[in-house]
Amino acid sequence: MSDRPAAMPAASRAVPAAAPALATRLLDRARLLLRQGRPGEALPILDRLVRLPGGDTAALLLRAEALLGLGRPDAAEAAATAALERLAGPAPAVVVPPAAAVALLLRARARQAAGSLDPAIDDAAAAVMAVPGDAGAKQVLGAALLEQQRFDEAIWFLGEAFRAAPEDPQRQLRLGQAFMLAQRHEAAAELLAHCAAGHPDLPGVVALQAQNRLLAGDPAGAAALVRAALGRGVVEAGLHSVLAHVLIGEADTEGAAQHFTAAARLAPRNAYLGHLAAALAGSPADMPDRAADAYVRTVFDGYAPRFEASLISLGYRVPGLMRQAVERLLPEVAGGAAKLGPVLDLGCGTGLVGAALSDLIGGPLVGVDLSRPMLEQAAAKGIYTTLHQAEASAALLGPMPPQALITAADVFCYFGRLELLLERCRSRLRQGGLLLFSLERAAPGEGWQLGPRGRFRHAADYVAGCLAAAGLQSLECREEVLRQEANGVVDGLLVVARATGH
Amino acid sequence: MAWSMVCWWSPVPPVTEADAGYRAGIAALAQGTPDAALPLLQAAERAGEGGGFAALNLGLALMQLGRLSQAEAALTRAAAALPDHPEPYFRLGTIAGVRGEAGRAEALFLAALDRAPHHVTALAALAALAEAAGHLAQAADLVARARAADPEEPELELAAARLALLRGEAEAAAAGAAAVLAQRPAHPAAAKLYAEALLARLDPTAALAVVAARAAEDPFAAGWALAAARLHAAAGQPAAALAEWQAAALLAPEQPEVLALLGLALDEAGRRAEAEPLLRAAITARPTDLDLRNRLATMLWRNGRSAAMLEVLDQAMVEFGPQPTLMMNRALALNAVGRQAEALESADAAVPAGGVLALVNRIAVLPYHPERGHALALRDCGRAIAAKLGPAAPAVHRPREAGRRLRVGLLSGGLGRHPVGWLTVAGLEALPAAEFSLHAFALKPREDMLAARFRACCAGWHEMQHRSDAEIAAAIAAERIDILIDLGGYGESGRLFVLQHRPAPVQIKWVGAQFSTTGLGCVDWMLTDRWETPAGFEHLYSERLLRLPDGYVCYAPPAYAPPVTLLPALAGQGAAKGVRFGCFNNLAKVTPAVLTAWARILAALPEATLELRTPVLSEASAREGLLARMATAGLPAERVTLLGGVPHQALLAAYGGIDIALDPFPYTGGLTVCEALWMGVPVVSLAGDSFAGRHALSHLSNIGLPDWVATTPEAYVAQAVARARDLPALAAVRAGLRARVAASPLVDAPRFGRGLAAALRRAWSECCAMG
Repeated sequence: MSDRPAAMPAASRAVPAAAPALATRLLDRARLLLRQGRPGEALPILDRLVRLPGGDTAALLLRAEALLGLGRPDAAEAAATAALERLAGPAPAVVVPPAAAVALLLRARARQAAGSLDPAIDDAAAAVMAVPGDAGAKQVLGAALLEQQRFDEAIWFLGEAFRAAPEDPQRQLRLGQAFMLAQRHEAAAELLAHCAAGHPDLPGVVALQAQNRLLAGDPAGAAALVRAALGRGVVEAGLHSVLAHVLIGEADTEGAAQHFTAAARLAPRNAYLGHLAAALAGSPADMPDRAADAYVRTVFDGYAPRFEASLISLGYRVPGLMRQAVERLLPEVAGGAAKLGPVLDLGCGTGLVGAALSDLIGGPLVGVDLSRPMLEQAAAKGIYTTLHQAEASAALLGPMPPQALITAADVFCYFGRLELLLERCRSRLRQGGLLLFSLERAAPGEGWQLGPRGRFRHAADYVAGCLAAAGLQSLECREEVLRQEANGVVDGLLVVARATGH
Repeated sequence: MAWSMVCWWSPVPPVTEADAGYRAGIAALAQGTPDAALPLLQAAERAGEGGGFAALNLGLALMQLGRLSQAEAALTRAAAALPDHPEPYFRLGTIAGVRGEAGRAEALFLAALDRAPHHVTALAALAALAEAAGHLAQAADLVARARAADPEEPELELAAARLALLRGEAEAAAAGAAAVLAQRPAHPAAAKLYAEALLARLDPTAALAVVAARAAEDPFAAGWALAAARLHAAAGQPAAALAEWQAAALLAPEQPEVLALLGLALDEAGRRAEAEPLLRAAITARPTDLDLRNRLATMLWRNGRSAAMLEVLDQAMVEFGPQPTLMMNRALALNAVGRQAEALESADAAVPAGGVLALVNRIAVLPYHPERGHALALRDCGRAIAAKLGPAAPAVHRPREAGRRLRVGLLSGGLGRHPVGWLTVAGLEALPAAEFSLHAFALKPREDMLAARFRACCAGWHEMQHRSDAEIAAAIAAERIDILIDLGGYGESGRLFVLQHRPAPVQIKWVGAQFSTTGLGCVDWMLTDRWETPAGFEHLYSERLLRLPDGYVCYAPPAYAPPVTLLPALAGQGAAKGVRFGCFNNLAKVTPAVLTAWARILAALPEATLELRTPVLSEASAREGLLARMATAGLPAERVTLLGGVPHQALLAAYGGIDIALDPFPYTGGLTVCEALWMGVPVVSLAGDSFAGRHALSHLSNIGLPDWVATTPEAYVAQAVARARDLPALAAVRAGLRARVAASPLVDAPRFGRGLAAALRRAWSECCAMG
């Protein structure tokens, strides 16, 4: 009945007279909601607060935090930048004032979440310089460095953060992960075990322990850890993923499929798991037409340090086969009478193809790969003119002179459909230029198929059709054994095609 | 009906010179402290001060406090004392309206207008009645008359705008609502109307953009946040709506309706600790809102605070009379505190005016009734629901190939830590993935380890909480589900009527308020076993009986269950003491007949004690009520320990102190029996003929202990007494019980999965055979 309140808010469109009190109330509530882990509820409040005349830097910072928590890193970056300008001026000095560090750290996290790792590292480093005693800043910097695979630096800063709060389980976890990725498995095991003992329910800790064991070459130990955790009722994507990897190693495809599927369902946005689950489950409806970049990157980032040793032990033949093909088809180059000219090496990995061809090239050799650690290994060989971290089909859209040769050793097996990719290759080859690539072989008439190891197989007739459609003349399509695997040899195709008239 | 719109309050000034007490009462009323005004006005009326105005203002004060019955009496006295004054009639009409008595309300408002033809609020109230009855032209005429009398009143502008929207004039409605918001920026009804008017001509995204622009222009007006919240809610985005309600409540903390809206949204989000004070504050500020009372009651119920719920409803019954929604909720509350007979009476009383929901309410309490909770009565109630619903939609077409991989839908709010979860997850995980793919249609968001297990075994996951039955059915059909399994039934978060839309060619009822037949023709099968429904039980079910080879559930014992302890009766030092019986079932299952049986058991065993443990016993009034019923049954209070709820692991650990579990009847224990058995505590049970009456029989038979089940109360008592007197045998059973359960089909998931697969395949094959 008494619905008319005693006092109505003013009807004016201006800021209410009681703005300071209102602002305080809104800010306090927004802060509380963020502390409670409710960024979505804080955001409409903060949207209003930042409209107060003169704005409030605290509101801008909280808004950046809320956006970060909501998975909107681009908007979070913009909000953090606005706060930073408020705190350090529009063009921040080389040394930012300590008060601005909090904005820098927020922006670093936003940039990291958006995948801009170098700018994230710059921000976090500036924050560390602004407040050298802030262990939280070092944690943010270490995390960004870790994602950029700069392990030694990451371990240094994460270690500093850990020493400032050695009982903080998140710091233990992150440093343990850094040790693991840097292949310091014993240090990782010790720290992660300590973390798991103190915080057995911490999400991810057992999965990381198990992954560390797997990477350290103890799949049985990894499986035991995972199975014990699953038995305790812990259900996490990471646990299923590690177990699936163990089972793949045991050639238990069915078991691996089951656990990759469970992992993918628990982490539906994880492209790596989704790709493997689809690959192993083999259901045509769920089959992607190429592997997600995140999948390829994840595979090779983890693989880089032992990639060549591993391939050599598997009898990897493709770079050698490629050199032989060049020698066969271009005798004047083989005889030293001519050089190849510009060469683009797609999916260059650690640079094995570049190394195999290096004395024949005589022009710029550009390497492209998704995996930064792989590119670092390639760079160490000193034979590439330029190295780009990029996805192969996207890299073909960038500026480059017409190429004499494009190589793709074990790259197109991460693509199902080849039509677009071959068209792009053709467009970057000079007249008469060669395209040289390897594939895993499917039976004639099968088109392309996703295999249980996450790679695609292609049938020779399908490839021939795609080459013709792209304006490429097939010169050779040889059946070759590419390498050994745990359960036998990998049968492949080595294809050479020439760019005919445009 | 928008009563709040027409019933704004203004104290009626005295027309004659009055004494100090009366003036003080009026002053208190004017200051918004009706509780302070009450004794002053009561004293004034007794002393004859103020003429009839003391009674009138006393009536207003009582209305403000939500004490409608007393208010009605005072206003009736005022009407008698002031026969020419419109106000007593207007207020009496308001009370009638609040109680849903539209005819009486109209007569009273007309009586007020007879005495004052330009009584603006009476005109507006009549307009609202006409609007509710669909007489829009009459309503518009009444609003126009009121506006002629008071052209400045924004509430009347709002009424006109609402009528415009009903006539399809969305733009005029939006403009009217915006004009009201310009004067009263936190007006909830204006904001709601604004949102509705936008939605009448724009899609939700475009409507939100309009509101966002308004909010950017005027960020501190709560109205735009309120409108945005309405739009998000309408678009099925409860989290975004909640965020806007939060902002609105901060911008207009003095608005009880905004607090109520935030409270309701928090309640929806399961944040009851935050919601309760807001709802209580809103009720205090708006005591005549019946819906708020029901919402508070429902929230308390979900929180296991049935005694507090009952208090809220009893109070509301006094004020609002026996309205069907109150009667239904009261039935649930009475049942939950163990007053089954009164619960069924309350449910029955709601049936004539309560529609199909009242019948659902009835079947939800019926299985607990000590005498009437039997299978035939339940079947009849189910049939009554089916008759009210009418025929189901025709079945959808799916490729009828008997052997193909089948898409199985799970419709439930219990896919997580919930009895449905504990009793189904292991079996569903064991279904062969090559033959079946699972697709969840979750009716309640859950984040726990059991929920993660469901996610890991489901190929598709759809959160459906805020969707209508038709929308859920459409989603199920769009997923091309072959077999839909309902895991909610007529329970709290169940949506059984989705099956009435026939989204799948085969529809099966399984765990989740699986206490009886559903009675519905759209439910093809009841997943059961030979103990739940032996041959000869077919006539008790509208569904066909799909019997699994072992029990009808597969229990997933929690990994955190502590080890089984030694038999407590023998564990102490020195001589054996009496056994400790225990019952950890909810109080709804503990009927007077159960209490009587327990009294006889304790009478035969002078050393024995009994421990009851369930959340509602945390509430003093629930304990007191139970103690009174125990006294009636002859159960000595000093030998019975009453304990409230504890976290699950502690609940399991509490079985360490129990020698024998006493199962209630006629609604027997389900998950509770499984848990007792897993914790080494055997269960004495009494089987009935309803599905709920045979849960314990199924579980005990499934582990090879059918001889712990009696068929008469006498045998139940004798069984409990005999078991308690043979401690060595009891100790032996306990020592081997977990191993026995572990080796039994009750927890053998692979075996269960094979049986379930065969049963689902059979149901599908028969569907294919029928063409």
